[in-house]
Order: sequence, then structure tokens, then C-alpha cells
Amino acid sequence: MNINYKFITTLVLTVFSIYLVFALNTEGSERILLNLLTFAGIYGLSAIGLNVHFGWTGLLNFGHASFMGVGAYVTILLIPHAAGREGEFSTNGLPLIIALIVGVIAAALFGLLLGLPAIRLRGDYLAIVTIAAAEIFRLLVRDLESITGGVYGIISFSDSLQNYRPDFIDNLLTNFEFSPAQAWVGTLAWILIFVVLLLLKRLNNSPWGRALRAVREDEDAVRAMGKNAVWLKLQSFMLGAGIAGLSGVLLAFNYGSLQTTTFVPLLTFYVWAIMILGGVGSLMGPVFGSIIFWVIISETDRFAVLLFENANGQQIAGVRFVLVGLLIMFLMIFRPSGLLGKKEELLLNVK
Amino acid sequence: MIDQLGNGLLLGVIISVAAVALSLLYGVTRIVNFAHGEIIALGAILTLFFSGSVDSRVLFLDRFSPLGMNFVISAVFAVILCGIFGGLLELMLFRPLRRNSVGNIAVLVVTIGLSIFVRHIYLLFATGKVQNFPLELQRRETYLFFDMTPRNFKVLIVAVVVMITVGLILSYTKLGKAMRAVRDSEELANISGVNSDYIIFITWVFSSMLAGLAGIFQAIINDVRWNMGFLILLLIFAGTVLGGIGTSFGAMVGGFLIGVLVQISVGLPFMEGHVEAKNAVALAIMILILLFRPQGIFGKKERIS
Amino acid sequence: MSNNLLEVKNLSKSFGGLKAVSIDLLTFQKNQLTSIIGPNGAGKTTFFDLISGFQNSDSGEIFFNGKEITNIQPHKIARFGMVRTFQLTKVFDRMTVLENLLFSGSSVKNDSFLKSFLNPPTQRNYEKELQNRAYKVMEELNIKHMANSYARELSGGQKKLLELARSIINNPDVLLLDEPLAGVNPKLAEEILSLILKLSQQGITIIMVEHNIEAVMKISDRIVVLAEGSLIAEGNPSEIRSNKKVIEAYLGSENE
Repeated sequence: MNINYKFITTLVLTVFSIYLVFALNTEGSERILLNLLTFAGIYGLSAIGLNVHFGWTGLLNFGHASFMGVGAYVTILLIPHAAGREGEFSTNGLPLIIALIVGVIAAALFGLLLGLPAIRLRGDYLAIVTIAAAEIFRLLVRDLESITGGVYGIISFSDSLQNYRPDFIDNLLTNFEFSPAQAWVGTLAWILIFVVLLLLKRLNNSPWGRALRAVREDEDAVRAMGKNAVWLKLQSFMLGAGIAGLSGVLLAFNYGSLQTTTFVPLLTFYVWAIMILGGVGSLMGPVFGSIIFWVIISETDRFAVLLFENANGQQIAGVRFVLVGLLIMFLMIFRPSGLLGKKEELLLNVK
Repeated sequence: MIDQLGNGLLLGVIISVAAVALSLLYGVTRIVNFAHGEIIALGAILTLFFSGSVDSRVLFLDRFSPLGMNFVISAVFAVILCGIFGGLLELMLFRPLRRNSVGNIAVLVVTIGLSIFVRHIYLLFATGKVQNFPLELQRRETYLFFDMTPRNFKVLIVAVVVMITVGLILSYTKLGKAMRAVRDSEELANISGVNSDYIIFITWVFSSMLAGLAGIFQAIINDVRWNMGFLILLLIFAGTVLGGIGTSFGAMVGGFLIGVLVQISVGLPFMEGHVEAKNAVALAIMILILLFRPQGIFGKKERIS
Repeated sequence: MSNNLLEVKNLSKSFGGLKAVSIDLLTFQKNQLTSIIGPNGAGKTTFFDLISGFQNSDSGEIFFNGKEITNIQPHKIARFGMVRTFQLTKVFDRMTVLENLLFSGSSVKNDSFLKSFLNPPTQRNYEKELQNRAYKVMEELNIKHMANSYARELSGGQKKLLELARSIINNPDVLLLDEPLAGVNPKLAEEILSLILKLSQQGITIIMVEHNIEAVMKISDRIVVLAEGSLIAEGNPSEIRSNKKVIEAYLGSENE
């Protein structure tokens, strides 16, 4: 019954936060809501991947942004795009679906690569390795200008996805001043969340999911039971990274351009905040966590503008992060199980 | 490459000082402090606040002016305030967490939240602009076989003196011995009459003062930025890991090596035109070290698994 | 092959110049209950770590069932049928007692990602059979009433029982027990002791490190005494009881 109670509270909170969007914005509230739901879908998907790492397996991954980045860059580079300062459009490229599959596999393989140090390292070392590896990835992408466009980024790749946009999205949005292209990305994000959650639900209740939880609890005991803890950890790394890669591709399509500045450590921390808010280890947690998180974020921007009149854009965005930092701290201290996490499975006393 | 040696020495001592502070804190409290960078930045920002020109309305959304105090006094004040900040963190945040036996991983995540929170307060307070201390420009001169400005040379000397002092304190004073006792076993230390709470508090203060000082050095040599601590944090981790986490002497040497390596790598042939990627070299070294010798150069083996 | 199930030759391991284990020849026979005793720091746990693969030896050879298992990864050794427990009990804290047993009893094949994703009837049947096995073991060890409790909620002694249950669910050939009675109340210790005896009678070869000499003397077929990493005596309980070397090395330091 406890779970039901938590679930209802979470649902009420989610509905209330959506109501807040309407209450606080007299104009364009639908547009704001659609925008934040799109982001919530993409980040929620990413948080679901992170949850496989940390919630299920206890892997302290702070390089999540790089998994998203690998998925995005590999996919986008394989479809027709224009990269760099000159921005010449190349029509050559694979069909999106094949590029996407390759991209997700690449992200999973990058997860495997990052997972290798995890074979020998304790949790806190893994945190440092993953965040460092993510930075290496970002620095390399920025430096390899001839391929990735460097700081100039990649543009003109959206058609590969938008060509498949069904008409009803355009029809539905005629009154809302909301970009149908973005709406299509958002719709896909939520469809993917649904599909991925179905898959994970199956895995979570399976012997495999059980084995991951055992790894989370005590690796030595897992070995003593004749199970290969390292391989289990690597599998977890690959699955979570693949899901993150998928969300990275969506993020790129949502922006319509691909920039190295997207995949900074702060992106990772956003996703962490969403996972903790939703409930570490909980299947549905990241979904609700993401919606509530993005309502908070988007409304913060408005208040920041009112509160600090002569702040510049960077500082207004900074107010968001002041809040994100506070949110992470407060949740970790006062409600580490988040909205939907199980108290009994709290990852508090992990060594 | 020789051109870069001077810069390398400077970055080396900065990271070295900061890494000793981080490593000391980790050794005594087992906290991997991701907010360490923010204490570094605090040292620089406070110094700017005290010493900056009274005419420049640069602080808190361009509304406030700095106080225009003497630079050295400003720096001393800043270091002391950093110590107080660290002490307050321990008293108000980390001690209560320890009392409630919150796990290390949870505390690590808390330090990340803290880091994001504090850093963006700086963004509001110190603006996103790159700023400089009110010090006149100097010409580079040659010392032995490297070039640097007289001021930076002074920084180098002061940093070395600071590190020798820290080394002496840790090795020979009662406080240093107590810190090592708590590092080895808090329980045992308590039994043998060391007040571990007090030692942990002192460690926070001491570590934060060192971090603040490193920030001031960094700001003298380069500039003041709201996110300067975060930018250098991973290099500090790299230095600490290279030397062996939890060993002060190792962190000193490891931090120094990382700083020198980062700057020298700029001169390597394959790095031509890729100056921005220099940090990647240091981070790659760190990952390799963790893969093949996770206890670092000076660490003991049992610490890792 | 003779009756030797486990054979250790010239095994050595040192830490920073300090010899932790140095054993020329030591064999363990099938169906025997052997206890390893010795003063603190005698290298008993290190010896366990070496034969179970949790630490690599500096030199020497270990044979299990005639197969060399020196420095093989621990999970592989466990799969050969030699399962260990830990001095500091290691249970899966945030899983229920039942889940602890299901994981431990489940085969590697059953745990596979693909199989778990497809969840074919074979897996479902296997899980049913596994559940029955888990309940049977829990019944045997008197922990059935705690099946749905989280392992972290158990007392120290109950955790020892759970660890034992987990280790026997797959009917191992050899059970390595590292201080199964440490920190357990006398009543439960008695229970665990008779359980170990029962397992031994069921044909499981048991090698046990234990400090409780009385208990060791009572149930062991054979006792091996280590001191400072070396083998100083072996024999049946009465032989050990009267062995001068043992009294000197072991009891001498115990009385300090």
C-alpha cells in the first residue's frame, strides 16, 4: 500500500506542477508546456539509462553526458549533414534508422570502454574516471574540427527525421505557435520512453536484473557464487549507455544543431538531479522526476528575470543551476529515496 | 617546449598545493570533495572583492564595487575566510551527515550538488566576465632556464615555501600526527585520546585555506573566473590520483607533475593546433594510472579495492 | 587421482616482505571435515583467499579434483564446485532473503541478458524449480519465516545462516567456511554447528577456519594448524590436542 500512496503523491505533484505552468503563465502556457515536456521526455530517457547504471548496478557514473554525446555525434555524422565553419552540406549519408542503430551501438561500446576501468575500481574512483573520460570526449570532439565541426558544430541534419513527421502533428499544432519539428521530437521521446520502460520492466524482474542488484550489493559475494561480476557490470554499462545515446540523438534533433557545448558535465548533473528526484532504482521515477524538474527549471527562469533585473542571459541560466545544486543536496540529505524510490533499497550506505 | 617550462612549473605548484589540500581532506574524512574547486575560486573571488578598484562596479550584477584594499592584506583575509568557509561546511553540513552515518557515495553526491550551487552563486556575484586583480603588467625575465614575470616567480617561491611548511606540519607537529592517526583509523584515534571531530574540523579549515591560496595563485598568474575552480578540479584529481590518493607527499609530487605535463604537452608535435586539448592529456594519464597502478606512484596497495 | 580433492603445493604469498602463507604440501580428502586453526595472523584467511581465487599467489600450485586452479578467477573456481563464505559476512543487503537465494542458486545461463529479455518457458520453469529449491534450503536452515525480509534486517547470526544457505543451494563439492561461528550467540552457534555436521554427513567436503576450539575439536575429522603462514601440524583432534608444537604456537599466544 505504501507504494500506492507514494505513487498517488507523485502523480498529484506532477499534475500540480503542470497546473503551475498554466497558473503562472497567462500567455503561451501551452507552448511552454509543450517545450518543457519535450525536454522532460529526452532527459527522462537519459535518466532511465543512468538509473540502470546507478540504481540497478550501483555504478557511480558521472560521465553520462558523453554517452549521450557519442550517440548523437555518431548518428548525426552518418546521416546527411553540414559540419564546421564552412558548413558545406553533404547529401551522402545513411538512412536515419540505420545511423541511429549504429549510434546507439557506438554509445554502448563507449560504455563498455568506460566500464573497463570499473573492473578494478571502487565507486568513488569510478566517479572520477567517468567524469574525466567524458571531458576527454568533449575536448576531442571540439578539437577534431574537420569531422565534428569543432566549436562550429553540425547543422542541417534535421530533415532526416522531419521527413517522417506525420501530418497530424502539424494539424494539431496550428493554434499553438509551437514548432511541429520540436513536437515530433518530443512525441518520439515519449514513445521511446514507453518502449524502453517496457523493456526494462521485463529485465528488472528477470534473473538478469536480480544479478545486477546483487552486483550492486556485494561484488565479492557475487563472485563467490560463481557469477562473473565484471561481465555483469559491463553489460549494465552498455545497456545504460545505449539508452543515453538514444536520448542524445533526440537532444540533437530537438536543438536542430549539434554543439560540443551541449555535452558538458552540467548535462550529466541535470540527469543526476532528475534520477535522484524521481527515485534511485525506481522504474517510473525518472519519468515523473523529469516533468517536475523541468517545470521547476522553466519557471525558475521567469522568476530569475524578475528577481535580478540587470542579470545577463548567462546569469539567468545560472539561477537554474543554483537551484539544481540545491535540489541535489537537499534530496540527498533529506529524501534520498526521491519520489518513488524504495526506502529499503536506499543506496545510502554504499561503500 | 622550454618556453612552456615556466608555465608548467607555475601550473605545477598551483595544482600541487590544491592537490595536497584535496588529498589531506580525503585521507582524514574519506570525502571525495567535488566542491574543492569552488573553495579555490572563493579564494580568488574574495581577494578580488577586497582588493579590486573601488571605481569598478563589477560585483553582484554590477551593483557593488570592490573595497580597494591592499593586495597582500586582501589575500590574507581571503585565505582566512576560505578557512572559515571550510570550517562552516564541516560544522553545518558534513558533521551532521557523518552523525547520521550517511554513506560515502551519498556524501560525494552532496559535494557535487554543493559545487553546482556555490559555483553559480559566484556567477551571480562575480559575473561571468573574466577579471583580473589590480596588479600592474610586468615583463618576463629569465630565471635559470625559464622565463616568467617577477611576480609569477614570487608566486612560485611562496608556493614552494607553503608546501615545505605543510610537509613539516604534517610530519612533525602534534596536529599532523593526529591527522594521520585519524586517517588510519578514526576509531583507534578516538581510543588513543585524539578528538577525531576536532581533527576533522581542523582538516577542513586547513584544507580550505590551502585551496583558497591555490586559487589566489591561479588568479595572479591567469585571471579570476567564476568557474575557475571547476576548470582546474579534474587536473587536481589527476594529480592526486597520480601521486596516490590519501598520501600528502604523493599528491604534492603528482600535482606538480600533472601541471608540468599539461603545459609541456602543448609543445608536443601532435598537439600542434590542439592547445585546447591539453587537459585531455592529463586526464588520459590519470585514467591510465587508475587502470594499471590505481594506488598511484606513492600509494599503498590496500587502499583501492 | 587419489582421494585428494584439493591439493596445495609450494604455495606462498607475502605482503611487503612479510610471509603471509608458505605451505609446502597440504591435501584435503573427499568427504572429510577439516578445520584450519592457528593464532591471529597465521594466514588462515589469506589461505582461503588463495584457494578460492580472491587473491593471487606469488608461487605454487593448487589442484582441485585433479585440475589446476592456481590464480584462476574466483567465479570460475566457484563454478567448479568449491564455494566459500566470508569472515565478515557478505549478504546482498538490499535484497530479500529469498532473492539472495534465488540469485545464488540461479545458473549463469539462466542469468543471461538475452534469456532474461525473451523469458522463454524454459526459464520460467527453471525459476519455479529454483524457487522450490530456495524454500527447501530455507526450511532446512530455519529461515523460511524471513523469506521476504531484506537481508540487512537480519541479525549477525541470521546473516551467517543466510550466507550458508546461499552457499549450499547449488550442492557444492567443497564448502570453505571462514569463521562460521564468529559473533554468533551460543544457541545459534550450536545450531550452525550441527548444521555443518549434517552437511558433512550429506557428503559435502568442508574446510573451515574457526577460532572456537571447543567446537572445532568436537566436529572435525581432521585439524590443520597454521602459524605464521606455515603448516605446523595436522591430524585428528586428539593428536592435535596433545601436539607440543601446537600448544606452544597456538595456545601460547592465545594466553597472552
